This record gives sequence, C-alpha cells and structure tokens, in this order.
Amino acid sequence: MSAAAPEPQTNQGKPVPRVDARLKVTGAARYAADEPVNNLAYGLLVTSDIARGEVNTVDLEQARGVPGVIGILSYGDVAEIAPPEFGNASYTSLGPLHEKKIWHDGQIMALVVANTLEAAQEAAFKVTAEYDVQTPTASLDSDGAEVIEAKGNTERIKEYPAVGDFAAAFAAAPVTFEAEFRTPTQHHNPIELFSTTAVWSGEELTIYEPSQNVYGFRSAVAKQLKMDASKVRVLSHYVGGGFGSKGPMTPRTAIVALAARKFGRPIRCVVTRQQGFTTASYRAATRQQVKMGANRDGKITAFSHEGWELCSRVDNYVVGGIETTTKMYGYGAVASKVSIVKLDRQTPGYMRSPPELPYVFALETAMDEMAEKLGMDPVEFRRVNDTMKEPIKGKPFSSRAVMPCYDAAAKAFGWSSRNPAPKSMRDGDWLIGMGCATAIYPTNVAASTARVTLHADGRVRVQTATHEIGTGVRTVASQMAAEELGTEVEKVEIEVGDTMLPPAPVSGGSNSTASVCSTVLMACNQIKAKLFEAVVKAEGNPLQGKDPDELTLENGVVLAGDGASLPLGDAFAAAGKASIEEYAEFTPNAVPKDAVKKLYDGKTSMAEEDKREKAMFAFGAEFVEVRINARTHEIRVPRIVGAFAAGRIMNTRTAHSQLMGGLIWGISSALHEETEVDERNARYVNRDLAEYLMPVNADIKSVEVIMLPEVDTDVNPAGVKGLGELGNVGTNAAIANAVYHATGIRVRELPIRLEKLLAMS
Amino acid sequence: MADHPGTGKSRLSLHRRGFLTAAATGATAAVVARGAEAQTSEATPAAGVNPRTPRPVTLSVNGQTHEIGLDARTSLLDALRDHLRLTGTKKGCDHGQCGACTVHIDGKRALSCMSFAVMAEGHEITTIEGLAAPAGDLHPMQQAFVDQDAFQCGYCTPGQIMSAVACVKEGHAENDDDIREFMSGNLCRCAAYPNIVAAVKQARDAIREG
Repeated sequence: MSAAAPEPQTNQGKPVPRVDARLKVTGAARYAADEPVNNLAYGLLVTSDIARGEVNTVDLEQARGVPGVIGILSYGDVAEIAPPEFGNASYTSLGPLHEKKIWHDGQIMALVVANTLEAAQEAAFKVTAEYDVQTPTASLDSDGAEVIEAKGNTERIKEYPAVGDFAAAFAAAPVTFEAEFRTPTQHHNPIELFSTTAVWSGEELTIYEPSQNVYGFRSAVAKQLKMDASKVRVLSHYVGGGFGSKGPMTPRTAIVALAARKFGRPIRCVVTRQQGFTTASYRAATRQQVKMGANRDGKITAFSHEGWELCSRVDNYVVGGIETTTKMYGYGAVASKVSIVKLDRQTPGYMRSPPELPYVFALETAMDEMAEKLGMDPVEFRRVNDTMKEPIKGKPFSSRAVMPCYDAAAKAFGWSSRNPAPKSMRDGDWLIGMGCATAIYPTNVAASTARVTLHADGRVRVQTATHEIGTGVRTVASQMAAEELGTEVEKVEIEVGDTMLPPAPVSGGSNSTASVCSTVLMACNQIKAKLFEAVVKAEGNPLQGKDPDELTLENGVVLAGDGASLPLGDAFAAAGKASIEEYAEFTPNAVPKDAVKKLYDGKTSMAEEDKREKAMFAFGAEFVEVRINARTHEIRVPRIVGAFAAGRIMNTRTAHSQLMGGLIWGISSALHEETEVDERNARYVNRDLAEYLMPVNADIKSVEVIMLPEVDTDVNPAGVKGLGELGNVGTNAAIANAVYHATGIRVRELPIRLEKLLAMS
Repeated sequence: MADHPGTGKSRLSLHRRGFLTAAATGATAAVVARGAEAQTSEATPAAGVNPRTPRPVTLSVNGQTHEIGLDARTSLLDALRDHLRLTGTKKGCDHGQCGACTVHIDGKRALSCMSFAVMAEGHEITTIEGLAAPAGDLHPMQQAFVDQDAFQCGYCTPGQIMSAVACVKEGHAENDDDIREFMSGNLCRCAAYPNIVAAVKQARDAIREG
C-alpha cells in the first residue's frame, strides 16, 4: 500500500491498478483524434473576432485558392441540417452558420477542409469577413444585460427552496451577517483538445469524438442531420479529460458531419486551444448575496441565498446551487432565488461541481464569517448547526458524516494548534493561515444498461456505453464484475464509449460509478441465477437438488451452504453451457418508468430529488494551510487535508486520485483560474494554456485524502455515492478562510490573487 | 486583434507572424500560414521553394527510419501523429504551453509541436511508443506511473513520462522540490501531480538500482 493506493477500510474495495494503465503509459490508448481513418481530410474552424453584430460578407476566395483545399462550409451551406436543441445533449441552440448574426466572441463562421492540416491552416487564415459591429454586453455588471428569473424560465428550477418566514427570522436574529460574493468565468481546459472525426459509409455515419455522452451525441447529431439515430455510431473509447466540457455536444459536430457528406471525404476537425474557449461551454460567472441570522449560542435561525448567473442571449442555462446550500445545515427559516443575466456571451454549461462550487464558496465563507462574529471555532459552529434532516422538506439524510469528516480531518491537520486570532501566526516573512470548509455533493444515480458475459473458463466481458474520462470506470466496473462472478480482475475485459454497446448515462453529476456498478451487479446476479438454476437441475453433480438461492460463486467455484462445491468449468459443463450472457436494465428508484427507453434515445434520467424519501448527499471536510508573504502577498498552499464520506468506495486507488485531483481543482479555482473578459468587446483575453492560469506541479505540495468508512444501502444497490466532484467543493472557501486568518483580509471574490490582497491591505 | 469600441465596420483578420519568424522566436505556433496581409501580395514565397510542395524527409524514430513526403510547414508532432501514425504523442495546445507533445530528440526532451519535422532530419527521435517493447516489460518510469496512479485520463501521460525520463537523466530528480520544478512544463488537468512526483522518485531509484 502507498499514498496512491490506500489500505481499504470497511466497505472499501481493493486499490486494483487501473485496467487500462498499460495502454495509457505506452501511448496505445486511442483517444478520438488518434483513431486511424483512411483518406482523411483535415477541417479547421474559422471563428469571429467580434462578439456581437451582423456578418455582411465572408470572403472565401483566397482561401479556396490555397492548393489542397477541398471545400469550405459557411453561411448558406447548411440548409440540410437543423440547428441544435438546447438541453437535448447540446449545450446551445445556436446554429452558428444558420444566420449571419454573431451572438458571442469566437462564433463559428466557416469550416475549411483540405487535404493536409497545413493547407487547412493556411486557408483558414485567409478567410476574411466584414461585419456591422454592435456594442456587446460583456459581464454581469455591464449595461445592456437582460435579467430574468430562473423560475419559470428554466426546466431545472421549478421552485426556490424556502421554509418559514425568513424576513421575520432575520429581523429578529440577535447576530446577523450579510455579504456579496463573486465567482468568475472559468474554462474546463482538459488537455485533450475538442475534436470531431466524421466518416460516412453510404448512409451510415461514424463519429469519433471525445464525449461524456455518446448516446446523447448520437441522438442530437442524428436530429440535426435529420436522419435515423440507428444509422449513427458515436465512439469515444478514451477521453482526455472532460470535467463537463464534453458532456453536451457542440454545434461543430453536425457541421463537420455535413462537410464530410458534401465533400465525400472523412474529415477530422481538431479545435485549436483558443477556439476551444469560445466554441464550447464554460463555467458561468456568478454574483451572490448571502444573509444569515443566528442566536448568540451559535444556532442559525435564518438563511437566505440569492444568485445572479451569467448566461447567453440565446439559451437559459442555470447554474443553481441553492438546492444544495439550502439543505446544508439546520437553518431555521430559509429563502432563496436565482436570476439569469443574459449577455453577449456563448452559453455556459456544466463544469466540475457546476452548482456546488460557486454557491458553496459563498455559504462556507459566510459560515466562517458568522463563526467569527459569534466568537466560535468554525468547526464547532458547524457542529452546532449539523442536522440529520434537511431543513426544507424535513427529509432525513440517508447518511451524513459531516462531523466525523471534520473530526478526522482536523486531527490529521492539527487544527488544535491554530491560534484563532487573524494575523497571529507567522514564520519569518510568511504569514500563516488555517481555514476549513464543508464539502457536499448530491448523490446522483441514473437508469443504465449493461451486457455481461461469463465464460466457462472464468473470463468475463462487460459491455456498457459509459465513458472513461479518467474516473477509472473501466476499472471499478471490472472489479464489480470480478467480485460478483468470483473471478480475477485480469480475467475481465470491458468495452465502453461506443453506441454499439448498451446505453449508459451521461458521465456527469458523479453518477457513473453508482449507475454503472449497480447495473453490472444486476447483470452478474442474473448470470448467477441462470447458472445456478441449470446446475441444480442437472443430473450427476454434487449441487444437484440444492436450493439455487443458497449457492454462491467464489474464486472460480460454485459453493453450496453445506460445503458441496463444483468448479466453474464443471458447473458450465453440467449446465450444458459454454457461456452465459445477460443484459440488464437498471431503473433506480425515483426515475420515470420509461427511463431506459429515454436512455436509448439519448436522454439520461437521474433519480429525482422530490421523489426520493431521503436526502442523499456525500460530504467532506477540508482543511488548508496557506502561507502568504508579508511583503509580496504571494500566496502558497503548503498543505491541504480532506476527509470524505461517500458510501462504498469501489477502489481506494482511483477514489483517492479523484478526491486528490478535486482538492487541487479547488486550489486552482481559489487562487488561479479566471477567464478574463475584455469589457469593451466581450472577448476572452487569456484564451490559451499560458495565460489561463492553472496549477503546475510546482504549485502543489502536500495533499492528504482521508476516506471514512461509510455504509449507505439507501442510495443505490452498489451503495456508492460518487465522489468525482466532491473534492473541489468547499476548497475555495477553506482557502478564502485561511487567507483571512493569515492576513485579516476577507476576499469574497474568486480567484484570490495577490493583487486583491495588495489592494485591500 | 483590433478593438471594437462601438458600431462600425470590422474585418476579420487573423494576424500571425510568418512561419520563419515563428520558428525563430517560439512566440507562436510553429506551423502557421503567413499573415493575411502578407499573403495578399504574395501568392507563393519569393524564395523559389514552395513549402507546400511535399519534399522527402527522412525521420529516424524509435530506431526505425521513415522516408515520407511532407509539406515543409508540418510540425514534428503532426508528422509523428498524422504521417507515421505514432499517436501516443499528444497535441494539447500546439503552442509549447502544455507539454503533452514531449518527445526525446537525441535523448533530450523537446516539444514536438514547436519543431518542424524537417528540422528533425539527422536526429534520433524517441516517442512514448519507443520507450518499451510493445509486449515486453515496461520502462521503469512507465511502471512507476502505473504503480503510483500518476494519471487519470491519461492524455498528458506520454508527455509526462518522456519528461520524467529526461528529468531523471538530467539529474533534476534529487529531491521533491526539484522534481516539481522540472516537471512543471507538463500540465496535468486531472491534477495527478503528487502521484507524478512519487512515480519519478520510484523510477529514479529503480533506474539507479538497474
């Protein structure tokens, strides 16, 4: 065992190395743009350099003259396809070539196709355009924004969580806190570039594209191309990081597919890093107002959370987050509201912990500020307001280990050594600050399907169209099958990321391990039932006549309760079978009855919160030490400790990596990341990996992950809560709280950079 | 890029430096066309050599010699990926900012997106595919990345491993801080950094023990 592969505790699976590790370290794992395709042509996007206006002319003449250019798609060339539909696995409803109107910076204006990448690049640079430029509205505070309520204008927010009379409770509270918080635009920036490779064979279309949602892409692109989804195959064997950016399809996919059909050539279009900032989604900037009232003993009596979120003109995407923050503590009276601020920007979308990251930053910073007002230790303030029932509907949590997480993390961190007074701890030129915050993420599970085959020699094949985005889903699904079928992980072969396989939900909302493992479990149980029933009926074997319900399959042997046994191969021989193949449809509680049918049509159905009898969340507590140079205000994070309780851990190695990566994402969001927007022209300024700040190896020091044993049989058959997004929730506030403790400066706007500390000191 | 302070006319114009300048300064993509303004008066380069005309290029990669015809503007990265089908080397930015395309040129780490393929003639190139035999034992660095779970999605991994092998060889793996510093040219968005440091240490010791 090592830090990377922690010793499993109760209800935690072995740290089996990733089943695809060898492929990944040898360069043999094929990502979408690696797939070999014959007679390939190269596509390159041309994008607008204004954010708002009308396109008068696009001059393609010079570009067409470049030797090697096959053709160009631009305005007037896409009548055969429909624009995408927002929400139907597409992040925007904007068909960029359907009208000569520019809605955002870097909007697609043409697709240049050539025999070589070099010719496509030369031609793309030679496309010129003339616009009528209009003054765009760039950000939340700009003139010209249209503000609408999320309720009534979005599918997701049907009502604002509320209970009791907040106004009266807040007015009556002896101690009150009120502040505004801000979070910035951020871009996912997976290291793998966005790409589409479209290959036609007669009327059938194959698309290789990094995707967190192959069935969703299939139905969305088929709809745009006005063809039967059964004629489309989407493959995404390995995804080089998604973080939400590859969950919904972008308008590029159908345009590339159309070009491939028109020009009669397979086309690969790899989007440049710069274009990736404007042709896909991103995390919306927010402004939030938090109000909190408490008694002098620390009990919160009133809580209000209101948000304003950046959005495009064309769609109503909502971040939300109030659904989670309003359930975090036993507040008393609660009010909440969300508004959408419509601007000349492209439509935002899901980015790792989409609602929780910004909204929990506000809540958990407010908790720290309130604790200080009350003169309480921030951990004890949370303990006083801990609750085993969510405060809105009063539903019990299926499990909730917030305080055990705090206690474990506080001990590992050495919280007791902290002097609570701000600016009280120092090491030479370095001011030391310690802060903490709660992590929370809803437990999602969705309808899913899988096919599992068990062969007589103990080999297993698992087939399900989930997505390997780095979570380790291939590994944990293989472990589940191996465990249930009494074989070794090495004997399991797994196929994912292909619409020829049975559908699985979008790999988003941290649902995949729960959904896929529950489905594999179900298929394995079906296999065992079939095998056991055949064996007990077969004559002349030691298990003949036994109760099939009492048989088990362990280490390649079928066992009866009385000790009678039969090796797997002999059991298959007795049953007269070579292999057993079972297809399972997993329909969890609180999803619609037609959820599996919808899944085939590309729509994921997650369990609906209001139909669940219990509130289901994973929790954690995060402690951070910051060191801030007293002269330069340079901010460093020498160590961070997170303790998490997320139900069953399938594999302590992959879970540890996800939580560790999440914590580092939290550091990144707190201190580094912001997509800067030029107020004058609503264009992104830092749209590359040099200017968009994210941590490099030297920025990260000690990261400690503690996984608390937790058993929760309510969440799903696998008992898994999901933790891919848990780690980076709360981190922002823990760091902001530590920065305050070090400096006495309270920064309520992310990211916390030294210029903000200098300006406020 | 021009500002657009108000309503008016604008022209889409993508300013790029000429590729020779780009190659010399490293300030922009190695493979770019000339800026639109230059191209309008000059359909083909005046020097008499048309870079578009495929020219024979001999590349020595992983001990094998390949003769291919290439547009002179082809980057080493694109030559490896698109012409030799060695797709283990990844494109993450095409601007020398992420390190995903790291290969070895004559045993030293180099960003293949920042070199023209023609510049690699006469040099020995090693890619991730050449680090270990296809079916045999992994290189100690590859094994260490597996053992320490030094990746999640795996996309930056070939570049990380090529950098890490060089990092040890350069003598920049003596302590954790050195490893962090000298591995900082390779971004990992999954943020496996602590595990990468552990992997480099494991491999360093394994390589020394031979």
